[in-house]
Amino acid sequence: MANTVIGSSIVIDGEISGDEVLVIQGTVKGKISLKESLYVEGSGVVEADIETQNVEIAGRVTGNIVASDKVELKTDCRVVGDIKAPRILIADGASFKGNVDMDMKER
Amino acid sequence: MATAKELAGNTVDNTVVGPSILISGRLTGDEDLTVRGRVEGELTLSRTLIVEPSGVVKANVAVKNAIVSGVVVGNINATESVELTHEGRMVGDIRAPRVIIVDGASFRGRVDMGDVEPGRLPAERPAVNRPQATTRPTVRPGATPPRPPTPPAAPPRAATPPAPPPPPARTAPATTGPATVVSRPSAKPLPPPPPAAPAFTPRAAEPPRPASTEQASSASAPVSRVVAAGAKKKVVVKKSR
Repeated sequence: MANTVIGSSIVIDGEISGDEVLVIQGTVKGKISLKESLYVEGSGVVEADIETQNVEIAGRVTGNIVASDKVELKTDCRVVGDIKAPRILIADGASFKGNVDMDMKER
Repeated sequence: MATAKELAGNTVDNTVVGPSILISGRLTGDEDLTVRGRVEGELTLSRTLIVEPSGVVKANVAVKNAIVSGVVVGNINATESVELTHEGRMVGDIRAPRVIIVDGASFRGRVDMGDVEPGRLPAERPAVNRPQATTRPTVRPGATPPRPPTPPAAPPRAATPPAPPPPPARTAPATTGPATVVSRPSAKPLPPPPPAAPAFTPRAAEPPRPASTEQASSASAPVSRVVAAGAKKKVVVKKSR
């Protein structure tokens, strides 16, 4: 199981990078760059710039998100920041404030 | 090792840093953390840190327990225990009341178990000192630990010169005066080695002292009666030298 989980009581202040799936239940501040999927679960709090392939957010995210594939904002999530990805899904009940950019010519 | 595997198996829900993940910065938490990737910076947990064989931690670590099967570069400060398993490699200082270093582990640094309780001495001391001794010669010109070996070696030497005195010690019952004089010189040769080593010598030197006096008294028994009369004079000569 090559899954990285940041548990609910964990606080990381700094940078996370890697090429595997990352699940965040705790708090991460700083920067996240992955070549795989990022899951921010209901209890997860992210105050960071995110750069990944896929993002699924059910918790709280403050920061800019750049995804090479897809960003999904689930019900009850709270996101503040700009999102840049070819596919962006915002579910009913999600709260979001920021710019959306689906035009991915640069990539 | 068994404990490490059990904990790792149970921590599926807990925090795991996967093999390809790098975390640099400050990491704090109140749950067990398993590191299979890299963590750099500062790591503070109120529970157990498990560094698996693929894990690399370059950080100052403050935890309750630490089980190191991978690589740790930095200091570990544990409120309970630190264990270096046979795959564990570490450079840095360990500060914990319980420190376990298993055969096969590699370690360079200091160990501080705090105030060493007398009852714990025999069990833990050798386990910690051996790995240090193996790594020291290659890396550091020994600071404190290399010294303890010398004081134990010194008392035997000191004990052999006083070996002549035993006869007079046997004569002691006859004349109390010489006996007290003799006991002083035998005590004098012993103190000189301790000044070299600060903390360790008192413990190391204490056992030999009673042993040497016992040996002296027991050894004196067969010899003394023959030489008893002349022995006094011989001792006086040695004393003057």
